[in-house]
Amino acid sequence: MEITLPFLGDLVATAFSYWWLILIATTIGITIGAIPGFGAQNTIIMLLPFTLAVEIDMALTFMVALYVASHMGSGIPAVLLNIPGTGGAAATTIDGYPMAKKGKAQQALVLTFVASTVGGTITATLALFLLPYLSRVAYYLHSVEMVVIMLFGIILIALIAAKDTLKGLIAGFFGLLIGAIGTDHIYSTPRGTFGFLELYDGMPLIPALIGLFAISEALVMLEKTSVLSEGGRARMLNSGWSESLEGIRMALARWWHIVWTSIIGLVIGAVPGAGASIAAFVAYQQSRLFSKTPEAYGTGHPEAVMAPEAANNGVGSGSLIPLLVIGVPGGSTAAVMLVVLTYHGVQLGPQLFTTRPELAYGVFATMLVSYLLMLFTILPLTRYLSRIVLISTTVLAPVIVVFTLVGAFAPRAYVFDMGLALVMGIIGFVARKTGYHVVAILIGIILGPILEANFMRAMRISGNDATVFFSSPVAIGLWAMLAFSLVAPFIMSRLRRGNGQDEEGRQA
Amino acid sequence: MTKHAKSITRRSFLNSSAAVAGAGALGLGTASPAFAQEFPSRDFSVVIPTGEGGGVDRAARAFTRVWSDIIGANFEFGYYPGASGQVGYELYLNRRDADVYNLLFGNIAPEMIMYATQNPDFQYPEDFLYLAGIDVDDSVIWVAQNSKFETIQDLIEEGQSRTITLSTSRLPHPSTIGALLLAEETGMDVRMIPYGGGSAARSAAVTGEVDGCATFMSSSLSLSDQIRFLGVFTGRNRVPGMTNEAPPLNEALGLDMPALQGQRTWALQRAAYEEYPERVDTLLTTLQEVFDAPEYKDAVKQAGTPWEFIEYTDAEACQESAQTIIDLARRYQDVLSG
Repeated sequence: MEITLPFLGDLVATAFSYWWLILIATTIGITIGAIPGFGAQNTIIMLLPFTLAVEIDMALTFMVALYVASHMGSGIPAVLLNIPGTGGAAATTIDGYPMAKKGKAQQALVLTFVASTVGGTITATLALFLLPYLSRVAYYLHSVEMVVIMLFGIILIALIAAKDTLKGLIAGFFGLLIGAIGTDHIYSTPRGTFGFLELYDGMPLIPALIGLFAISEALVMLEKTSVLSEGGRARMLNSGWSESLEGIRMALARWWHIVWTSIIGLVIGAVPGAGASIAAFVAYQQSRLFSKTPEAYGTGHPEAVMAPEAANNGVGSGSLIPLLVIGVPGGSTAAVMLVVLTYHGVQLGPQLFTTRPELAYGVFATMLVSYLLMLFTILPLTRYLSRIVLISTTVLAPVIVVFTLVGAFAPRAYVFDMGLALVMGIIGFVARKTGYHVVAILIGIILGPILEANFMRAMRISGNDATVFFSSPVAIGLWAMLAFSLVAPFIMSRLRRGNGQDEEGRQA
Repeated sequence: MTKHAKSITRRSFLNSSAAVAGAGALGLGTASPAFAQEFPSRDFSVVIPTGEGGGVDRAARAFTRVWSDIIGANFEFGYYPGASGQVGYELYLNRRDADVYNLLFGNIAPEMIMYATQNPDFQYPEDFLYLAGIDVDDSVIWVAQNSKFETIQDLIEEGQSRTITLSTSRLPHPSTIGALLLAEETGMDVRMIPYGGGSAARSAAVTGEVDGCATFMSSSLSLSDQIRFLGVFTGRNRVPGMTNEAPPLNEALGLDMPALQGQRTWALQRAAYEEYPERVDTLLTTLQEVFDAPEYKDAVKQAGTPWEFIEYTDAEACQESAQTIIDLARRYQDVLSG
């Protein structure tokens, strides 16, 4: 079906008519997104009695708004407390938290919200108009291609390790080792589970994330009375609305950066099984690659805060495409949405766009309206939210530990997961105190199992022929881009040095 | 977990357990009406050994929507996927009280293949029994709509000259055994590719990463305009109109393969069976009433399942199905468990 302006207008108007519901859903979404362990999937399951009882339009609006808001909310604790609300915001901590420590929490929050909103809006619009093409992405990105895409994320370990290569690589490989815990992807043979049933399904991400980031950060916090540096505290105390306006200006000045990193999220999201974590790490890595100031990454660089946020919100649009167009959920939240849609008698797949176009395209119109409403409701809150960093660590640390331990328990209801979070917290604390990067460990834990699953699958399909990884034009193109990503930093740094010498020569 | 003496043979235990269940179903238990009225006095907790949103989840929700009204208590679900169902079963048998308030809802065939091939920490039927099946879901082979394979004969012919790749949610699956049997009977070369979940397996076949998909029929029906069913691993196709009249493979190829299908089933710890026969009786009586309730038909439709799949299977038939699939799985243990 062709999208006409009147049709689009109708869609947006219909979505707007549910503004009150979107406000409720986005408030819930932002809140649960900001608390590790309470993701969109769990919340939609808990609220199934509501979504099954109401009309399909209302149910879908509620679920979509909640889903996109959870992506937005996950960046808040990542920036303020170095604790990502979900795996998709883990990359945001790398530069978001250093900004907060410098007293720029308000700015950093504005950057994440604007990047999320603009990125989400752009990708939802692109999805509306390019749906037939985006739905083909899954036809070209199979296990072989996904292996290469994972490697883009994995090389971020090496970039993070730039300051101390050996320690960075040790942390990354340690993460990969932890990621290998669980039953293998082909024969379900348990590996490294130490007999714990709770580890058969692999290292659970939320307890690992909570331990490595939240618990270890709480322990580090207790060494000082404030998370802020002295200069940062003074800046925070004097900050006013001008900080938010400055954040908006900085974000809009880098609009193109938001556009292309959100498109990375959209494309990766359109592949069933890929997720926000992968997209955010790949976007961070690509952002650094093409940055004029890569050395500033990791120290609180605005672009480094925006890239992962734009990407993980771009995933929101992308991940619903396989569900709507193929009828196969691209992720766990989409799987729960499928239950609701099926209950309401919605037949998914290509026919949905001819039988219920208002529903199929309405998903993206709802996203557009949700982002718009969220921007106006959440931006004014940045000034107050950012004040969290002013709270004494003697209060903050115990609150973080209690809340996040509940979050560790919530997804699977295993007491074991709370213990696991504590163990990972100690590992994270030791890593921080000895100069190992916890993000590198987490990249290994998140990407390792997905990389392995795709690698094993590709090898099995090809009959263990390793040349399969170069068997498609898309894979070859991706390999070339990966090679460029690895070589480019050296070339660019050499060029910059050369230019610097020329400059010095001219000045001399 | 209690492990029972090996002197009890599985076959004898299976028969006696089925008799207990059968007696319960017929209302021959010793429950007094007063005692029966006390049950249930609180909500039920259901362990699902697969993820949320899948076929088992949807079937359980549709069933309990009606059952909860009849029995007078709600059902709370907990999802414990992992290791092809092993996690959910071990958790249920080792960490849930055997008081009939804790139930397991699973799928006999894939989970009994898991039991036969993965050496889990429980014994069947010594530790638990299947109470009643609520539906059947036949295994099928299908290809993408744009595939060059029009019929199962085309696929077999090509499979005799090169390896055919078929996606499956996991290796311990009746469809995998079906594909292996088919390969053995026809001389085709098949390689099963496990994707760790039904959605991913279906997506791989629709998008052309593999030649086709071997899976359950019900979960594939929603893709019917994107795929072509080539054959069914049971004696008859329950919904020919929804599956491009795909033939039963035995009929199309003149074979005699056993029926390979899933059966979504309620299960209970054996200790609960023995300790609370009155409660089991109440469960079974009310459970059977669900099938006669008009609302159940609506609930099934809303879950996206054709009514033709709904079939009550008693405990004895469930145990027989379980034993048949265990025997088949052991035959292909090397392929299924590496």
